[in-house]
Amino acid sequence: MMPELKNTPPEKKKRTFFDWFKYKWSNDPLFSILIALIIMVILQTLTLGFDYNSVGEWFQTWINNWINILRNNAGIGIVALGMTFVIMTGGIDLAVGSTLVITGAFSMYLLDTGSQGILGAIGVTGLPAIILTIIMVLGFGYLLGALIGVTVTKGMVPPFIATLGAMMIFRSVTQHFAQGYNTTVPMEFLQISSFKMGNLMIMPIIYWAVIAAILYYVSKRTTFGRQIIAVGSNERAAMLSGINVNKVKLRVYALMGLLVSIAAIIQVSRIGSMDFSNAGRGMEMDAIAAAVVGGTNMLGGRGFILGTVYGMLIIAVMNNLLNLFGVPPFLREAFKGLIVIVAVLLQRKEKGA
Amino acid sequence: MKIEMKNIQKSFGNNDVIKDVSFSVQGGEICALLGENGAGKSTLMNILGGVLQMDSGSILVDGKKINFETPGDSLEAGIAFIHQELNLINDLPIYENMFMGREIKTKRGSLNLKEMYDKTAKMFERMNVDLDPGKMVRDLDASYKQIVEICRAMMTNASIIIMDEPTTSLTDSEIKRVFKMMETMKEQNVGLIFISHKLNEVMQICNRYLVLRDGNLAAEGSVSDVTTKDLASYMVGYDVRTESLRREKENDEKLGDEVLRVEGLTDHQFFRDISFSINVGEIVGVTGLLGDGRSELFQAIFGAEKFLSGKIYLNATEVKIKSTYQAIKEGIAYLPRNRKENGIIKDMNIIENASIATWPMFSRHGVINTDKHWQNFQKQRETLRLKMGEHSDSINSLSGGNQQKVVLSKWLAANPRILILDNPTQGVDVGAKEDIYDIILKLAEENIAIIVLSSEAQEIIRVCDRAFVMYHGVIQGEVRDEMMNEHTIMRLATGGELELERSEQPL
Repeated sequence: MMPELKNTPPEKKKRTFFDWFKYKWSNDPLFSILIALIIMVILQTLTLGFDYNSVGEWFQTWINNWINILRNNAGIGIVALGMTFVIMTGGIDLAVGSTLVITGAFSMYLLDTGSQGILGAIGVTGLPAIILTIIMVLGFGYLLGALIGVTVTKGMVPPFIATLGAMMIFRSVTQHFAQGYNTTVPMEFLQISSFKMGNLMIMPIIYWAVIAAILYYVSKRTTFGRQIIAVGSNERAAMLSGINVNKVKLRVYALMGLLVSIAAIIQVSRIGSMDFSNAGRGMEMDAIAAAVVGGTNMLGGRGFILGTVYGMLIIAVMNNLLNLFGVPPFLREAFKGLIVIVAVLLQRKEKGA
Repeated sequence: MKIEMKNIQKSFGNNDVIKDVSFSVQGGEICALLGENGAGKSTLMNILGGVLQMDSGSILVDGKKINFETPGDSLEAGIAFIHQELNLINDLPIYENMFMGREIKTKRGSLNLKEMYDKTAKMFERMNVDLDPGKMVRDLDASYKQIVEICRAMMTNASIIIMDEPTTSLTDSEIKRVFKMMETMKEQNVGLIFISHKLNEVMQICNRYLVLRDGNLAAEGSVSDVTTKDLASYMVGYDVRTESLRREKENDEKLGDEVLRVEGLTDHQFFRDISFSINVGEIVGVTGLLGDGRSELFQAIFGAEKFLSGKIYLNATEVKIKSTYQAIKEGIAYLPRNRKENGIIKDMNIIENASIATWPMFSRHGVINTDKHWQNFQKQRETLRLKMGEHSDSINSLSGGNQQKVVLSKWLAANPRILILDNPTQGVDVGAKEDIYDIILKLAEENIAIIVLSSEAQEIIRVCDRAFVMYHGVIQGEVRDEMMNEHTIMRLATGGELELERSEQPL
């Protein structure tokens, strides 16, 4: 309880902890999510046990466990942030998993040290090749996202349909062209994810944190961020207030594509390859789940970058817990489903209060 | 049938909404329920309709005490509630809507469409409604939807019908249609409770009135004994001005230069061959009946809708406005009609709703300058006489009039040269209405050209220097000075000619 007491706002009037809790519970949409996360972390800490020789050893285990959790979820975590924006405009992006695969494949084609590497063939190697690859892959992701955005805005195809189509197209095309083809990514590229700070492999976590911080700022302080809410909440009113609705939507989908390509680079650089038929499958649902657990309204208008980070962490910690408890793998999805529903139920209760 | 509500009390938390109200209504009368927003009208009616529970008091139906716990209970007691937002399913035909929730079924359990159709047709006949029961609700205009709702209420054998602001979104001719319907019901010994902000309508259709103010019954009596001015002062608790606010014009040269000129503006459907010009500091009204195309016309000028041909000049330079954002940059602002659908962003707080149009203007590299919005809003809060709590409160915490002021303030922040106000006093109570008129006059003094679109001729006459009357997408005529009266405006709005008018009453 101590760390929570420290958060009490400095008020002249005497308020008990309970008052503050009640106030926060019914007024701060992220509060119940945070409480849920804290409870899960406490549970997880208890489950890890204290059966260690020293505090240092215990702490080491605890930290390592956490680094694993965060690193494993950094990719989806980044995608979920973009998904939050997409859902806030009242849309949805089902194509993220396929976009991951197609941008991932693209990066591997560019970099292949074997006979088929595109950059190698034109004589670009080493660091320039890596930098060029990153730029091109990010550009490619942005472009694919923008393409979906154009279909949604100019083509007036509902986001669900447009991205459902894109989901099928992107993966199918990737699988066809990448058939029976082995690529080797240069070792230096792997450093993007595997570079050790001290002796900790935390690069993906840092990317996630930095992107979350930037997007948090964007959502709170910039015209783009606020216009997303306006468009999602009342599109007509937003248009009549001088907001270019199509431009906002287009940029949201393009940003989504960009974030997915970042996730793709992280994934490829972590393991050096990608399974084109399975990588990113179900990623869209995980990203949506994280956003929804984090308080995003599926109808648009309401959403929180910080909430999505919490949501992702809740799902991740729960997976970890189920692991520690030894719950059979097939049952784990059921728990994830439960968490999503309970989270939304909790948010309902708040509104009623 | 007679319904009595005795000593009704209701509070939400610490807020006493209804403090000891008693009244009665009986069959064959139309009783107006008046009051400003927040006076407790809706709460009282929701209690009668079984939507809300009273804290204390009793409801007597024909002298018998009855407990209303659900809308079903009150429906069973013969009370039907027609809400302001109509509860019709657009994608079903009329006759299925009529039996929504009480469908007639065949023995085998499927819907007996034929019988539902026949019964609907019979009801329409009884109520003198000329409407095909098989028509889709989507294809009906607002007044017929209202009428379908009324017939549906009649279908339940209701003897008291509550109508919550049935005429707000209707045009004059549609209102007539609904009123005719109400007269028919009165003759059939149905009692009506008519909630409205429009006092003229009350004078026209109602027998009795009840005025609520701050949860108390402020006045009641027979409509024939009072004037609209009396009713208005009962509602607000002090005398309300009704005098014309129109400014005396010394001579035309005092008016500024031309700021907006439109030539031959035409779109594919709503308006054609529109030409007019407006000067700096003028207040120009545009009125007409539903389908006159005035909203579409000005939305096109604002860049929200497309048009086929024609030219728009700002300060004598031709401009091509392709988006609302561009219109704002050119100094045009448009306060839309139907605040809920077009004006308010319900997920945002007050200050954000008040600054949304100026986000790009007051930002650097896309980062919003919140301080500047704050200062700006702080100033406007006083001029607009906004009644509100904190800046960060939800926009939904405000009354209709104050919400409208927030929407208005967003446009004032953009510093427009031309301000288009589409139905600015829609769903706004008497006090806020006068505030808005004051603001309009003040802005005109500050050399903003103001265009007021309104379906209320009274409003146009009181506030505007001159007015265009539209009819089916064309400007039927322009009225000014002595010509600005309800009679002339109505004549033009229904397709009559101005020339005729001139010969009839030589000036």
